[in-house]
Amino acid sequence: MSLFRLLLRLYPKGFRERYRAELEGMFLESRREARYRGRFGAGRFWFDIIVDLVVGAWRQRRSSVVPDDAGDFPRRSEMDTILQDLRDASRQCVRRPGFAAVAVLSLALGIGANSLIYGLVDGFVFHPFPYPQADRFMSIGVNFPKLSSNVDYLEVLSPADYLDIRTARSFAATGAFDLGNRNLSGGDQPERVFTALLLDDLFPVLQVKPALGRGFTRDELAPGGSRPVAIISDRLWRSRFGADPNILNRPIRIAGDAASVVGVMPPGILVAGTDLWLPWGGDPAAMPRTVRQFNVVARLAPGVSAAQANAELATIAAAVDQRERAAFKEYEGWRLVATPFASAIMRDARPAAFLLVGAVALVLLIACANIAGLFLARATSRQRELAVRVALGAGRWRIARHLLTEAALIACAGAAAGLALASTGLKAAVALLPAQLTMFGLEAHVNARVLAWTAALAVVSAALVAAIPAFSATRTDPQDALKADARGAGTRSGTRLRAALVVAEIALSAVLLLGAGLFLRSFANIQRVDRGFDADGVMTMRLTLPRERYEGEKANAFFDRLVERIGALPGVRAVAAASQFPPDESFSTPFTLDGTPSETGHIPTAMVTVASPAYFDTLRVPIRRGRAFSATDRLDAPRVAIVNRAFVDRYLAGSDALGRRLQIGDAAGGPWTIVGVAANVRNAGLTQPVQPELYVPVRQQTLWNQLFVLTRADTGAAALMPALRETVRSLDADQPIYAVQSLEQAIADSSFQQRTAAVLIAVFAAIAMLLAAVGIFGVMSYSVAARTQEIGIRMSVGASRAEILRLVLAQAGRLATSGLLIGLAIGLAGGRALGGMLYGVAPTDPVTLAAVAATLALVAVLAAWVPAARAMRIDPMVALRYE
Amino acid sequence: MPRRRPLSLPVLHILLALADGPRHGYAIKQDIESRTHGAIRLGPGTLYEAIQRLEAGGLIDEADAADPANGQEAQRRYYRLTPRGWTALRADVAQLGAIVDLARANPRLRKA
Repeated sequence: MSLFRLLLRLYPKGFRERYRAELEGMFLESRREARYRGRFGAGRFWFDIIVDLVVGAWRQRRSSVVPDDAGDFPRRSEMDTILQDLRDASRQCVRRPGFAAVAVLSLALGIGANSLIYGLVDGFVFHPFPYPQADRFMSIGVNFPKLSSNVDYLEVLSPADYLDIRTARSFAATGAFDLGNRNLSGGDQPERVFTALLLDDLFPVLQVKPALGRGFTRDELAPGGSRPVAIISDRLWRSRFGADPNILNRPIRIAGDAASVVGVMPPGILVAGTDLWLPWGGDPAAMPRTVRQFNVVARLAPGVSAAQANAELATIAAAVDQRERAAFKEYEGWRLVATPFASAIMRDARPAAFLLVGAVALVLLIACANIAGLFLARATSRQRELAVRVALGAGRWRIARHLLTEAALIACAGAAAGLALASTGLKAAVALLPAQLTMFGLEAHVNARVLAWTAALAVVSAALVAAIPAFSATRTDPQDALKADARGAGTRSGTRLRAALVVAEIALSAVLLLGAGLFLRSFANIQRVDRGFDADGVMTMRLTLPRERYEGEKANAFFDRLVERIGALPGVRAVAAASQFPPDESFSTPFTLDGTPSETGHIPTAMVTVASPAYFDTLRVPIRRGRAFSATDRLDAPRVAIVNRAFVDRYLAGSDALGRRLQIGDAAGGPWTIVGVAANVRNAGLTQPVQPELYVPVRQQTLWNQLFVLTRADTGAAALMPALRETVRSLDADQPIYAVQSLEQAIADSSFQQRTAAVLIAVFAAIAMLLAAVGIFGVMSYSVAARTQEIGIRMSVGASRAEILRLVLAQAGRLATSGLLIGLAIGLAGGRALGGMLYGVAPTDPVTLAAVAATLALVAVLAAWVPAARAMRIDPMVALRYE
Repeated sequence: MPRRRPLSLPVLHILLALADGPRHGYAIKQDIESRTHGAIRLGPGTLYEAIQRLEAGGLIDEADAADPANGQEAQRRYYRLTPRGWTALRADVAQLGAIVDLARANPRLRKA
């Protein structure tokens, strides 16, 4: 009552005082009545009251002038009509809570799934980084046709290349950085920090200002650097330095040396995931062109388009080509490409992202078709009411608008609930992502773009849901509707429309089911790939020794001792140090084979892995010919190498590998002699062909101070982690270990995208099938009810129950078959787009097609079973008396 | 007879309800609901807003207190049609009737 009185205050004083007693009396009586109306009564009652009073009060206040002639009632204004529609619509919803709940829930699921997926791909793929004007922040990629056909963006350019790119006028600012890791010490625990070594300041390129302090000065960036300085990320500032506002005056220790922090990045700014920026300190002019380990980024100058910048880069590349081609063959025909940073970094994920957005949109379409079906079914039962309205002069447009308003109301509620689902779902989904993604500081949340997307979905859903019923309702003939009873002639077109909607639902489900089937098969194939190595029970971790303390041989000695001590731990079967491990290796290097004239065109390259003697044992990779490395392969012994089978096939076709000599890169120190041939392991990703690979002993080189330690243990290597940490600490308490992961986990992460796509699309397909099943059930139930009389007649003239069952199931079968055929046709036509994302299964895979058909047929029969059984039980006497 | 704009649907229903005799607000509401099979349901705000206008326009006025036979409802306000209200209602119903007749004359609206 007090709420009611409060609402009354919305009215102008005069009105309130005159009618208060009456209004309150009526309220009390209505409430008494509502109590008898069961479960939903109270909610419905309050909803009505609130809508009534709020809208009424608003109208009263707007037209406080009471017309002097009541015969001249003011015409309804546009706003009044909309309000009236809204009020009617909410009443419709409240009057049929079941209908509204089903509709809102389906839409909430459909819209929620869409917002969730859009939020994920927006946060991780489309707009992953919070840089201002992100589409003008470019990454410079390079393609050396002599080496490979790919355009690569990460760690691919030399300082000399950068100096050439920096001359381009298309860019307002350019920057280049090498990625590395630095040890931060001087706290409780040493910490490994992902670091960018800068050739030029990055703040001007990013167009952000440091949150504290400043960027690097020219002096600090010059070769040799004027003093040790650092810029740290907001994340690091908070986690390690407790957001100390005096950080600029506090020295920190990087790799054991003091450095002063001159700036703190703003929150969220982490270029390529780095937490620490240091001046690179080298002399670009002194670095050979072949040391290509820099990332180059640039900010387009105002008014310059990406195409113009690329044209200028082409000119620069051509000039370098002419100048350098004699000394460096790979520069012949090289290309420089400027691409927006986000698309360059996330380009591998883009096809899958588009696919997911498309797949989940199908789910929403099906949900809309279902609700449109519900509306149609209800339109039939409301026909009389609508006909009364039409007869009393309501325009057809007015009736259509009425339905649209109701659909809009349901769509808004669905979108709101969906958004709530999506924002909880996003948090859960982010927790499932592999570490590589979260390392970049990427996050997905409901932002303005996701909101806009959801709003657009709501509008589209409302239109889709209302279009068909509105069209159908406006064509209803009021005379017919008023005369005929609910089962009259006017419903036939509605039934046809509903059947068409169900066919569309089945078709869309078939498309999704086909996609899910293909991805699941593809993922199963990936699991079955012969990896060539045994990951079970292997733990990996990484260490980077600071060059200052571990110069040359000292690093090797450290890893030697570490491997030896770990090998002595109980339960350890084998342990090795290596620069990389399968299935995702990345270091490849050009080489030359003595005695083989280099092929024209391509420069031979191979993965080059530095490995300690037990590497092949640890991964259980068989040596097919020759020998593995031994403890005697040291700096003072002749240099030896092992190649894989793919290397022999590609570069030594037919001839004996053992004893052949190679020159790797342009490092001095004489040739390497091949002493063994190892079996192939998947080294370029599980789904990619095995690349030629060269293994060289750790102890015969001094370049690598950063190695992985691979430990195979009986007990499950994870249980061994404390012992492994302790062993590292016993050798050097300042060395953090990082990238700790089981090899199985690393493999799982490497097929993360395929797994995610398979799981998500399977979930979508399951939802789609459920919705389609509901659709079939609805249309069949209705059809059985409408045909009660006909069935009764059939039975009375001798049709058996089995025949009736068959009659109904056949009808459902016809719907399912049409839908299936349409869906498979769409699926086959669109399947080609999936080709690149599938592994070991063609988009036309007959097994998958058959499975989709069988599943859908089963679902159709199950969904139609209940109505069919009901038809079977019809009592002919009752049915005939029904009229 | 001067041209008038037709009464709105809820107003028409209120007048129709009062045509059966004086009613109080809640009775008007229930009357309308049962006549329209629930298609038109007036909340208290809407109802009294219309009553206010009809009173101001002189189409209805307050009736004397109801028959004491109705017991506890004696303190309620009862409304009844004024002569002006009867005229307006008859005019509108006649107008609607004419429309219905016109519609019936159209063979495409008369089907079966």
